[in-house]
Amino acid sequence: MSEYDDEDMEYSDQDDYEDYYNADRDVMSPPHNPDAEYFPVQCLTVDEVEKFLNELVEQLCTSIHVTPSMSKVLLYENKWAVQEVLWKYNEDPDKLFVASRMKTLQPVTVKTIRDKFVCPVCVGPVAEELGITSLACGHCYCDNCWRCHFENKIKQGVSTELSCMALNCELLVPEEIVLSTVNKPILRKKYQHFAFREYIKSHPLLRFCPGANCTAVIKSKESLAKKAICTQCETSFCFKCGNDYHAPTDCATIKKWITKCADDSETSNYIAANTKDCPKCNIFIEKNGGCNHMQCLSCKFDFCWMCMGDWKAHGTEYYDCSKYRENPQNGSESARAREALKKYLHYYERWENHSKSLQLEKQTLDKIKERINSKVMTSKGTWIDWQYLLDSATLLAKCRYTLQYTYPYAYYMDNGPKKELFEYQQAKLEAEIENLSWKIERAETTDRGDLENQMDIAEKRRATMLQDFFHI
Amino acid sequence: MNNIATQRIKREFKEVIKSEELAKCSIKVDLIGDSYTELKGEIAGPPDTPYEGGTFFLEIKVPETYPFNPPKVRFMTKIWHPNISSVTGAICLDILKDQWAAAMTLRTVLLSLQALMAAAEPDDPQDAVVAKQYKEYPEIFAKTASHWTNVYAGGPNKNSDFDTKIQRLIDMGIERDQARGALSTYNWDLERATEQLFS
Ligand SMILES: [Zn+2]
Ligand SMILES: [Zn+2]
Ligand SMILES: [Zn+2]
Ligand SMILES: [Zn+2]
Ligand SMILES: [Zn+2]
Ligand SMILES: [Zn+2]
Repeated sequence: MSEYDDEDMEYSDQDDYEDYYNADRDVMSPPHNPDAEYFPVQCLTVDEVEKFLNELVEQLCTSIHVTPSMSKVLLYENKWAVQEVLWKYNEDPDKLFVASRMKTLQPVTVKTIRDKFVCPVCVGPVAEELGITSLACGHCYCDNCWRCHFENKIKQGVSTELSCMALNCELLVPEEIVLSTVNKPILRKKYQHFAFREYIKSHPLLRFCPGANCTAVIKSKESLAKKAICTQCETSFCFKCGNDYHAPTDCATIKKWITKCADDSETSNYIAANTKDCPKCNIFIEKNGGCNHMQCLSCKFDFCWMCMGDWKAHGTEYYDCSKYRENPQNGSESARAREALKKYLHYYERWENHSKSLQLEKQTLDKIKERINSKVMTSKGTWIDWQYLLDSATLLAKCRYTLQYTYPYAYYMDNGPKKELFEYQQAKLEAEIENLSWKIERAETTDRGDLENQMDIAEKRRATMLQDFFHI
Repeated sequence: MNNIATQRIKREFKEVIKSEELAKCSIKVDLIGDSYTELKGEIAGPPDTPYEGGTFFLEIKVPETYPFNPPKVRFMTKIWHPNISSVTGAICLDILKDQWAAAMTLRTVLLSLQALMAAAEPDDPQDAVVAKQYKEYPEIFAKTASHWTNVYAGGPNKNSDFDTKIQRLIDMGIERDQARGALSTYNWDLERATEQLFS
């Protein structure tokens, strides 16, 4: 057993907390997997996806006796797991068809006396040339009503979920019936387009790239909450839920958080201000870089942008700024509501702030590129000599991104040792990131070795955080 | 209006007229004009509910695409019920939205509404205020619904306590329906209703 594992076990014991904090193991020990975030994906075009899905359809058709259209329903209803469908089919085909909304247990007995048939939808005698059709459920309607039903639903965007017209009958209409009934070219096209999208959405290993105007479909080997990157447009997102990548927060929590932020946007609007006054001399300061370590140009006071407190109190030991302290005194309902809002704002403010910092750091990156360019032009080294500066800015963005997504995680955590540990690590990560940011903004006067060392520390902190709290 | 829709409404109109529910005076449909696009429905308040003894009128509008899309139905009679807006009469019921099936008829819609009156679904509310009262103060809810049935739907149960409170607000210059609405909302707490009306 490695040294790391020993300590790993220690922190489950509350009494050993202080030892754990002091051991500083998270910086010293290497993470288990140096690149735990690596997630291989394939970027497919629409044609390639179509081919891929059609192969699965054919595979099923050749194994059991169903039409391609039935095969599509089976696969759509069973998340495209061909092997599982085959297995279920061999176990009990009827059970599979019922569960896949293709059969009912007790089909209605069909009265075939055509002269006496009254279609329950149009309640009129059925014209000579019209057919009378039912799905496996036995609910009969005239073909004209079926067509009206299909057209009406397709106009509303329904495709794969198109079902029987009877009350409480969930039976799905296979593609071939829809296409042989609907003859308006626009509606046929619309139906096929919607159905294709639904097939992709129902396949757990396929995802539409969320990038604006990007038509690529991303394919992976596993459905995990990992970072997928589209090679077409370079958009990155969580493969499982399609939101922005959100480690260490999980998919359900980030969804809750995003909804909450949207709901509470009014109350938190006041935070938006990008300017504050220096806490010491009250001079107006505008934040122009991503770094939260501020220095007032007028009085030289070093302070923290987040809490406006003295930076010196943050820098070294415990970067307290990231940790929200709950007020233990609980009073009336309104006091509790105020306390809840205060708690939310604490996390939201930090979440927002890091998001803004990230945007500002994009500008910093551009500035760095300019700076390197002018150095190279004036023969102060080559691009290769200054590459480390670019690398450091990229790493900073990566670290700050993870840090931003630690706040929703912390917000929903229950109080207790796990949360304390989380916020301790979060504070450490935040401190190292601010150090790195500070050093990058003053890169010309910072020693290269010093900067690279800081990069190393920050990334290790980040890796540890993900490893300890992001279990996927 | 397309052929199928007209054919269907004619047929459904007859269906309701011939139904045993009509014989028992529990549901009824009347045509408005002769276009078959607008009808007036009528439901008797179900027995053993606060709506018992009341008669509730419905506005029914038949869309061009009927029966492939549901009819648009709204309560014209004011009613105190978690799934029906106490202000507009709008109804929250799945069969009038995504659970509609082309094979359903006006008769099944009216019977479903009657069933909804007998068994509310407070977790899928149309009127949040009513739903909250239904869950937290079921007794006050029953009294309020019964009072509304008496006032707006001809139900039998007069509530002199409520009437006195409403009169107090009317004396202060508040309009009658508004006074009833505010008192119903604040569980007949005269002080809070007054506070809200004059704030
Ligand atoms: Zn028909
Ligand atoms: Zn059916
Ligand atoms: Zn893309
Ligand atoms: Zn996700
Ligand atoms: Zn200052
Ligand atoms: Zn601070």
